[in-house]
Amino acid sequence: EELRLSHQWSNTDIRHEVAKIVADEVAAADVDLDIKIFGSQSLFKAREQYTPLSRGQLDMTVLPLSYAGGQQPAYNLTLMPGLVKNHDHAARLNESPFMEALEEKMAEDDVMVLVHGYLAGGFVGADGCITKPEDIKGLQTRAAGKAFEQMLAGAGASIASMSSSEIYNAMQTGVLDAANTSSSSFVSYRIYEQAKCYTPAGDIALWFMYQPLLMNKSTFEGLNEEQQAALLAGAEKAQAHYLEEAKKEDAASEEVFREAGVEIAQMSQEDFDAWRELAKETSYKQFVEDTPDGQKLLDMALAVE
Amino acid sequence: MATQPKAVQSRARKNLFVNTVDAISTLAGWCAAAMIVVAVGITCQMIFVRFVLNHSTIWQTEMVIYLVIAATLIGLPYVQKLRGHVNVDLVPLMLPPRLRFGLCVVTLSMSILIITVMLWYGYEFWHFAWDRNWKSDTVWGVRLWIPYLSLPVGLGLLALQLTADLVAVILRIDTPFGLET
Amino acid sequence: MDPLVLGGLVAVFTILVLFSGVSVAIGLLIVSAGFLIVFDGARSLELMPEILFGKLDNFALLAIPMFIIMGSSIASTRAGADLYEALERWLTRVPGGLVISNLGACALFAAMSGSSPATCAAIGKMGIPEMRKRGYPDGVAAGSIAAGGTLGILIPPSVTMIVYGIATESSIGRLFLAGVLPGLLLVGLFMAWSLYSTAKSGNRDLLNVTPYTWREKFEILPRVLPFLLIILGVLYAMYGGIATPSETAAVGALLCLVIAMVIYRLWNPKDLWVVLRDSTRESVMILFIIAAAGVFSYMLSSLFITQSIAEWIGTLDINRWFLMGAINIFLLIAGFFLPPVAVILMAAPILLPVIVTAGFDPIWFAVVLTINMEIGLISPPVGLNLYVINGIAPDIPLKTILLGSLPFVACMVLAIILLCLFPGIATWLPDLVMGAAI
Ligand code: NA
Ligand code: NA
Repeated sequence: EELRLSHQWSNTDIRHEVAKIVADEVAAADVDLDIKIFGSQSLFKAREQYTPLSRGQLDMTVLPLSYAGGQQPAYNLTLMPGLVKNHDHAARLNESPFMEALEEKMAEDDVMVLVHGYLAGGFVGADGCITKPEDIKGLQTRAAGKAFEQMLAGAGASIASMSSSEIYNAMQTGVLDAANTSSSSFVSYRIYEQAKCYTPAGDIALWFMYQPLLMNKSTFEGLNEEQQAALLAGAEKAQAHYLEEAKKEDAASEEVFREAGVEIAQMSQEDFDAWRELAKETSYKQFVEDTPDGQKLLDMALAVE
Repeated sequence: MATQPKAVQSRARKNLFVNTVDAISTLAGWCAAAMIVVAVGITCQMIFVRFVLNHSTIWQTEMVIYLVIAATLIGLPYVQKLRGHVNVDLVPLMLPPRLRFGLCVVTLSMSILIITVMLWYGYEFWHFAWDRNWKSDTVWGVRLWIPYLSLPVGLGLLALQLTADLVAVILRIDTPFGLET
Repeated sequence: MDPLVLGGLVAVFTILVLFSGVSVAIGLLIVSAGFLIVFDGARSLELMPEILFGKLDNFALLAIPMFIIMGSSIASTRAGADLYEALERWLTRVPGGLVISNLGACALFAAMSGSSPATCAAIGKMGIPEMRKRGYPDGVAAGSIAAGGTLGILIPPSVTMIVYGIATESSIGRLFLAGVLPGLLLVGLFMAWSLYSTAKSGNRDLLNVTPYTWREKFEILPRVLPFLLIILGVLYAMYGGIATPSETAAVGALLCLVIAMVIYRLWNPKDLWVVLRDSTRESVMILFIIAAAGVFSYMLSSLFITQSIAEWIGTLDINRWFLMGAINIFLLIAGFFLPPVAVILMAAPILLPVIVTAGFDPIWFAVVLTINMEIGLISPPVGLNLYVINGIAPDIPLKTILLGSLPFVACMVLAIILLCLFPGIATWLPDLVMGAAI
């Protein structure tokens, strides 16, 4: 039997490694199950994976869950400013009642989680450092995710929407003054060549994105017990690897920027609190308005220590 | 040889169904052209808002994408009517008239079949988005059934135009593949 | 079934279906649907409209209709004639001045239009009758314009470069810059050939036309200004921090429409509709092929054909230049039968990994690929430029146009060889302007 797994990343990315571990473990278990990985959007485009997954036309995917926020507004909580403080906190969120509530939402779409994982990101400025809300005022900014756009607009930034592959060019020509995306994208798109200052995800970080390995639930339930066990065992191993590598990635990106001669800035606890206050007035508020049981879900997430 | 626009307008089509479909496709062509022009305007407006006013540009990129998609899909029947969809007619040219007629009927029927299948699933996809109230995952958060509507509409009109072309060929109003005999 | 065998089967069926005379886009959908039903199950048909829509869901595609509008709005004015007339008045002492001016005008026009047929039509409408009037052989007149017109997709902006950029995730700004010097190289080769053949034809009076006075020479200059305005405006928008390359196209389209209306008095709604109709027809045709080729490449990927071919070529232990030669022949043949966009979309995902593994630069390859596609534009059975020339000068037999184009095809092949020997022709400018490649 064969399962098809689709993702958008290159085969050197952590998220590919996560998929690969699961595939290799399942193959090693010799349970007549083969996972075929289609990377680099070779099967589906990044944002077009969730629908086929939920309809059983695709078996597995590694996906930023917020991409499907238009279908399940609750998913927007998985890319909410200041909700996750650091990677260990993220790991605790994965085991919380909040995550259980999200998994219930996924089950409505016939989707389940195999591997949990969060990745972090930061900010770059073309002319100066961005650590607190005042820094972003009046800058043309590209933000990763709806909630961040709302918060940054609230800080007085002007929002320009473009894909992360366009950031390099736009910063080079001066269309963009600042950008916010994941640590790995900053490195893979060589943004350090165009940035003056980088605010990486450190002990305190604002930008965390939940990017689990998902599977179609009915497909999983259709497998025999041995196959399910092999998948779950592989997933457990992959999840440990994911957390470990996610932590390393932020430091690695900082190192790359430092070597390229880019100034490195750190966000202080005060800066973080100021952003979070702003987020409460903007993105949190909007989220609660747009989502049926939004307040309840938000409280559940905030309750995780 | 020949694939590009030929003098299609000159032929006098004398069938009510064929004429009506031609008219609908022309109307669709106007809509497609208008959508492209609007997309030009919105993109320039976006550059102005960002570069001159230094304000946020939230909805423009998405709007322009949907306009170009809609222009493409809604423009399909019109371009079919103009014979603007490129084909390779090396083989049809070499065939004797009867075989050419037969091949033309077969290719048009196959085209109608595949477009109708896609129309069916396109409608289903649109209905899914409508039923579940899907929105785009952006600040603008457009209700997706609106842009998805161009799928059933465009494919439906294309199937209609293909049918009219088939009828025209069978009734000998039009020559197979638009080739001169 | 082995994916490689399956790939061969797909190739055979694709050729059969496309040769039946069905339109290319619908043919690709038919082949995709057939193979998906047989090897992936009927349920995968459900996905086809979604994928079709998804392939069009890309902001960069906006540039395609925009760059086509740029060309066709200016082409429907007398701007093309002005351009080549100005060049002719200034180049009058150059032997074969008229054909040289026409080629120069094609190159300049190519810098405003993203498509080849538009470039061909814009210059050919005046250029071909004028050359024939002055006694140039039909073959040279038609061939030079057909070939000069192909520069539309090499000299930026270029629709095919945009499509390549999207298919391979390369920087469109970088791709555009890479086309500049090879474009000039081709113009130079075309001109050299024209001079040689004119001189060889022994038609001496073609070489010395009545010289124009200085007054006449300067009189015409203001009429070339709109061109410079558009080209500079677009370059400034693209590299001056105003807009991203895809957005710049809209600025260009607006500028061209406004200039056509204000300076060339293209007021009449009927004339304007002709511009919009032609642009819509060409854009929709190209975009539908892009969408259908997207479904086709989904099928190839889903049946693991793309991946297997790339892997298989990787295991062949062959010389990289032999590989490049084989790829070029493959592209050339594909270009004979398919429009450039279809070739790029179907070939790029398969070839790119192979190219990169063999140590070739993807930006450089884009230029080689584009020149291959240019050859396809002036060769039967799908040579879009040939039909444009046929439309402009219906009394020149197609055979004469073809024979006249042949030497220019040789120039293009020579350009590809030069590019292989000196890859810097393509990569030097983008590296200079945008820094070393990623
Ligand atoms: Na061009
Ligand atoms: Na050709």
